[in-house]
Amino acid sequence: MSSRFWTAQGDSDTEEEESDYEDGVERGGAAGESAPHAGSRYLQANASDSDDSDGQKRVVRSAKDKRFEEMSATVDQMKNAMKINDWVSLQESFDKINKQLEKVMRVTESDKVPTLYIKALVMLEDFLSQALANKDAKKKMSSSNAKALNSMKQKLKKNNKQYEDLINKYREHPESEEEGDEDEEMEEDEDSGSEFEEDPSKIAMRSDSEEDEEDGEDREDSAAEAGGGWEKKMSKKDKLMDKQFMKDPSEITWDTVNKKFKEIVAVRGRKGTGRIEQVEQLTFLTRVAKTPAQKLEILFSVVSAQFDVNPSLSGHMPINVWKKCVQNMLVILDILVQHSNILVDDVVEPEENETQKGADYKGTIRVWGNLVAFLERIDVEFFKSLQCIDPHTREYVERLRDEPLFLVLAQNVQDYLERVGDFKAASKVALRRVELIYYKPQEVYDAMKNLAEQTEDTENGESEAGEEPRVEESRGPPAFVVTPEVVPRKPTFPENSRTLMDILVSLIYNHGDERTKARAMLCDIYHHAILDEFSTARDLLLMSHLQDNVQHMDISTQILFNRAMAQLGLCAFRVGLIAEGHGCLSELYSGGRVKELLAQGVSQSRYHEKTPEQERIERRRQMPYHMHINLELLEGVHLICAMLLEVPNMAANTHDAKRKVISKTFRRLLEVSERQTFTGPPENVRDHVMAATRALSKGDFQKAFDVIKSLDFWKLLRNREDVLEMLRAKIKEEALRTYLFTYSLSYNTLSLDQLTKMFDLSETLTHSIISKMMVMEELHASWDQPTRCIVFHDVEHTRLQALSFQLTDKLTILAENNERAYEAKIGGGGLDLPLRRRDGQDYAGAASVGGKWQDNFSFSQGRQGGVRTGYGVGGRPLGPGSSAGTFSRDRGGQSRGTGGYSGGYQSTRYQDAAYGRTAYQTSSAVRGSQMDTSTRMVSLNRGVRA
Amino acid sequence: MANTMARSFLQVAATEEVASPLRVVQIEGLVILKIIKHCKEFSPALVTGQLLGLDVGSVLEVTNCFPFPIREEDEEIEADGANYQLEMMRCLREVNVDNNTVGWYQSTLLGSFQTVELIETFMNYQENIRRCVCIIYDPSRSNQGVLALKALKLSDSFMELYRNNNFTGEKLREKNLSWVDIFEEIPIKVSNSALISAFMTELEADTPVTQCDYDRLQLSTNPYMERNLEFLIECMDDLSMEQQKFQFYYRNLSRQQGQQQAWLQKRRAENMARKTAGEDPLPEEDPANPIFKPIPEPSRLDSFLITNQISNYCNQINGVAGQSFSRLYLMKALHEN
Repeated sequence: MSSRFWTAQGDSDTEEEESDYEDGVERGGAAGESAPHAGSRYLQANASDSDDSDGQKRVVRSAKDKRFEEMSATVDQMKNAMKINDWVSLQESFDKINKQLEKVMRVTESDKVPTLYIKALVMLEDFLSQALANKDAKKKMSSSNAKALNSMKQKLKKNNKQYEDLINKYREHPESEEEGDEDEEMEEDEDSGSEFEEDPSKIAMRSDSEEDEEDGEDREDSAAEAGGGWEKKMSKKDKLMDKQFMKDPSEITWDTVNKKFKEIVAVRGRKGTGRIEQVEQLTFLTRVAKTPAQKLEILFSVVSAQFDVNPSLSGHMPINVWKKCVQNMLVILDILVQHSNILVDDVVEPEENETQKGADYKGTIRVWGNLVAFLERIDVEFFKSLQCIDPHTREYVERLRDEPLFLVLAQNVQDYLERVGDFKAASKVALRRVELIYYKPQEVYDAMKNLAEQTEDTENGESEAGEEPRVEESRGPPAFVVTPEVVPRKPTFPENSRTLMDILVSLIYNHGDERTKARAMLCDIYHHAILDEFSTARDLLLMSHLQDNVQHMDISTQILFNRAMAQLGLCAFRVGLIAEGHGCLSELYSGGRVKELLAQGVSQSRYHEKTPEQERIERRRQMPYHMHINLELLEGVHLICAMLLEVPNMAANTHDAKRKVISKTFRRLLEVSERQTFTGPPENVRDHVMAATRALSKGDFQKAFDVIKSLDFWKLLRNREDVLEMLRAKIKEEALRTYLFTYSLSYNTLSLDQLTKMFDLSETLTHSIISKMMVMEELHASWDQPTRCIVFHDVEHTRLQALSFQLTDKLTILAENNERAYEAKIGGGGLDLPLRRRDGQDYAGAASVGGKWQDNFSFSQGRQGGVRTGYGVGGRPLGPGSSAGTFSRDRGGQSRGTGGYSGGYQSTRYQDAAYGRTAYQTSSAVRGSQMDTSTRMVSLNRGVRA
Repeated sequence: MANTMARSFLQVAATEEVASPLRVVQIEGLVILKIIKHCKEFSPALVTGQLLGLDVGSVLEVTNCFPFPIREEDEEIEADGANYQLEMMRCLREVNVDNNTVGWYQSTLLGSFQTVELIETFMNYQENIRRCVCIIYDPSRSNQGVLALKALKLSDSFMELYRNNNFTGEKLREKNLSWVDIFEEIPIKVSNSALISAFMTELEADTPVTQCDYDRLQLSTNPYMERNLEFLIECMDDLSMEQQKFQFYYRNLSRQQGQQQAWLQKRRAENMARKTAGEDPLPEEDPANPIFKPIPEPSRLDSFLITNQISNYCNQINGVAGQSFSRLYLMKALHEN
C-alpha cells in the first residue's frame, strides 16, 4: 500500500496523470514482463504485415490475422489522412483503431499490445507534434479540422499514457525507420527516463541518492528485469528506505531530507493519501533531520499531519495520536528552548534553505509554524474527545487523566511565549489553561494536582522514556539531532487553584484581546463563585460590562456567560443572598430551556423540529460531562429562592395577585400544582418545592424545611450543614413574614414572645424583621414597648382605594408619555431616544456604581443601589412612598425583562431561522437584554433589601 | 356639558340650513316604559330594539318601539332577525301604528356605549333615514335613582369624516373636530296624551313619594364607583395602547425623514457631480424608493372614543360622588337629630 504513496510523491511534475497512474504502472509492469517473448513474435509479424501488405498474396488467415489486417488497414487510412492533413478522418480512424485494438486483444488473449498499434501511436504523436509546431498551417485549417486536431491532441495524450513505456521502448528500438527527428526522440527518451524513475521499485534508490542519477539507465533496465519481483519489495519498502538511510548516515544530507520532506508534505490532503502513513513517514524523517531547525520544521508538519488523522468535524482525534501529538509539541518546545535563535512565525514565508543552518548557526532562523494554533487545536481535540466519550465509562475517566498532560504543554508553551515576549499569544494560551481550571473546585484541583504528581514518575518513565525509545529501537538509528528534554514534563501547580487563576487571569487582563479577556473574566467570575466569593464575583461582573455586550459575542462565550450566571446564583444562595440568587437564576429558567442555555444537553422542543444540521451544531457546543452544573441543584436553588421571595409577597398582595409577580415561573408552577385534584407525596424537585410552598404559606416552617431538606441534591454542596442551617433560618423568617401578612388582620395585638415561640426565632431577630416590615410600610402596626406587643392599625385599603391607587399609577404613566411626546414635538430629539438613553444611562450608572463599589464597597453598596433604583427602570418618577416606589420599579424591571425574554423565545427565532449569524444575533440580543435586567436586579434587590 | 352642547348646536345650525336641525326628541311615555322594561329585564346583558315614530320638522317624535330578540352569533339567526324586524313592522302597520323607523334604542353598562360598533350602526341607519337617533338606557345607573336616558346622534362633521375614513391629525384640525364633537346629545321631551296625563294625576295623588325617590336614598355607592373606576382603568390602558401606537408611528416617521434627508443629500451630491461632468441632474424625488412611501398615520378615532368614554365615566363618578355627599350629610343630620 505505502508504495503507492511513495510513487505518487515522485510524480509531482505529472500531476494530472496521477489518478490513473497506478494502473498505468501496473500495465506497464505487466507489459514489461511479457515484452521479451510476446512482443518479438508480433513485432515481426506486424512489421511484415504493415510493410508489404499490398503486394501479398491472398492466403487463408486465422481470425487473428484478420484482425491484424484490419488494424493495419486502418493504419494505412491514417497515413493517408496524415498526408492530406485531414484531422477529421484521422480522428475517426483513431477511434476505429482503438476499437480494433480491443478486438485484437481479445483474439490474441494476451494483454500485450500489438506493436502495430504502438507504431501507429508513435506515428500519430509525431505527426501531432509536427502539426502543433507548424503554427501557420494550424491557422489555415478549417474550423472543423482545427477542432478535430485539438480533440485528437487530448485523446492521444490520454490514450498514450497507458502505453507510455511501450512507446518509449518502441522509440528506443524502432522497428521501422520512418521516425524522423532524432532530437525529438531524445527528448522523449529523457522524459521517459524521468518518468521511469517514478516506478515504485526505484523510488527507494532514488531517494537514497539523488545525486547518482547518471547511472539511472542501468537501474532502469534492472528494474524492468526485476519487474516480477518488485511486488515483494514493495511491502517492506519503508524498511528498505530506512535501511538505505541507515546504511550510510553520512550520506544523508540536509538536501535529501528536505527533498523527501517536501515530497511528503506536497501530497498532504490529497485524495487517497493515507493519513497515518504520512504521520509515520514524517516521524521517521524527524529522526534523520540534519539540523534542529529542520527537525523543527518537520515536527510542525508531523503535528499538523496528526491533526489530519481525524478528518471529520464531529469526531475526535484518536487518543493515542493525541498523546503523541502532545509529545511532539513538547519536543518542539525542547528544540525551541534549546536553540533560542530559532524563531517560529506564521506571518513571514521563510526562505527556502533557512532550515539548513545548523545548530551552530548564530543568527536567527525563521521557521514557519504557529504554536498557539497547534495548542488550541490540541485543546479542541481534547474537548471534543470528552464530548464524544460516554461519561459513564472508564474510558472517560482515563481520558480525563490526560488533562495534566495538556496542562504541562500549555504551561510550557506559555512560558516559552513569555520568554520570547509574545504576550498576546501567551495570553491566549493562558486562557486555554484557565478554561481547564476555572470550573474546578479546590478539591478537584487538588486531586488533579496529586494525580499529576503521582503519574509524573510513571508518565515520564513510561511514556516519555518508554514510548519514544521503543519507537526508536524498532526504527533504527538514534536521531541525528538529539533533543534533550529541556522542558519540564511535569506540571507545576500552585498550592491553590485561586493562585493559579490569579496568575493566569492577570496575564490575560494585561495582554489579551477583547474576547480572551471577556472569557477570562467569565471564568474568573465562575471560579470566584465556586469559592463562595459572591461579592467579588458580582463586582467583577458589574465592572466588566459583560452583561451589556455579551450579546455581541460568540455562542460559546454566551454559554460561558450563562454558566457563570448560574454559578453566581448558586454562590449567592450558598452565602444566603436569596434575592440575588434568584436574580441570577430566574432568567435561565424563564425560557424553560435551561439545558440549551447551559449547553448541557439538547432540549427537545415540542413545536419545532430541528434540522440535523442545527442539531449537529448544537451537539458540538455541548459541555463535557465533568463540567456540568448539576441541573437538579440549579433548579432546586432557583425554586427555593423564588419560594422564599414569592410566598410572603403573595401573602402581602392578596387582593391583586397579578400585580407584583417576582417569579413568573414559580407562579406558573404553583398554579399547576394547585389545579391538581390530588397532591401526592412529592417526587421531583418541583413537587418538593411546591409542597414546601404550601406549608410555608400556612406558616408551617418546620414542615416546609423538612420537605426541602429531604431533597437529595444537598449532598452536592460542600458545606451542606451550613447551607441547610441558613435555609432553615430563612424559611423561618419568611414564614414569620407570611404569617404576619396573612393574619395581621385577625389580630388587634400580638405579643413578641408569642411570635418568637411560634417561629423559633430569637427575640432580636423577630423584632428586627417586624420593625423592618413596619418601616417598609408592609405592615401597618406599631410597637408597644412596655407590653412587648405589636399593635395593628387597621388601615386595610378598601377596594375603591386600591383601585384609585392603580388609577393614579396608570395616569402617571400616561402623563409621562404625553410629556415625552410633547418633548419630541418641540425638538427633544425623537421619541425613541428617551427610553433607550435612559436604559443606557442605567447601565452606565450600574457600571459606575460597580466602579465605586470597588473603592468603598464595604458600606456603600446598599446605598448606591438604592440611589440608582431611584432613577427607575422604566424611567418612572418616584412614587409617593419611596419604598413602594422601589418595589414597583423592581417589579417593572423584572416583568420587562422576562417579557422580552419569553417574547424572544416564543417567536422561536432562536430555532426557526437557520443557525445563521443574524438569527443568533437576535436571539442573543434577547438574551442579552434579559441578562441586563438580571444584573440590574441583583443591584436592585440589594437596594431594597440591604 | 351644557356649554359643549350649545356649541355643537351652533355648528349644526351653521351647517344645516335647508333642513331644519333636530332640536328635540319627543318620546311617548309608553315607549319609555317599554324601553325600561326591556332593558331592565335583561339587565347585565345588553339589548337593542327599534324605535318607530314620525319626523316632524325639528322634532322627532318617537311613538312606539319594539325589542329585538337577543341575537346570537350566527349567520342564519341574523337573517331571522332582519325578517323579524320586517314582519314586526308589517304587523304594526296593520294595527295602524306609526311604522317609520326613526332609530334604535340600546341598553348599556355604566355608560360604556361609545364604541365603533355604535358608530357603524348609526351610519347604517343614516344611509336610509335622514334623521335618526339612538336612545341609550343605562339600567345600572337608573338603580341610583336617576332616569338614565339619553338620545344621541352623530355630529354631521364627524359623519363626513367617517365616510372618508380620514382620521388623521391634519383633517381633524381642519374640521376643528375634537372628541367632544363626535356625539350630540339631543334633549328628550316626554309627552303623554292628555288622557294618560289625566289618569296619571289621578294615580299620583295617593303617594307623595315614589319608588324612584327611595332609590335615591340608597347609601351604598361603592360598588358603582368601583366598577366605574375599573372601567376607567381599562380605558387608561387602552389609551396607553393608543399612545404607544402613536409613538411608534412618530418614531418611524422621524426615522424615515432621516433616511429621506440622507438620500436627498446623497442625490444632491450626485447631481453636483453630474453637473460638473455635464450630465443631466437626476430628479430629487424617487417614488419607487421605499423610503418615500408615506407611513399610514394611525387613526385617531379609537383614542377619541376612548376619551369620550373616559369623560363619560368621570361625569358619572362626579355626579354620583356629589349625590352621595349630599346623602351622607343628610344622614348625618338625621343622625344628629
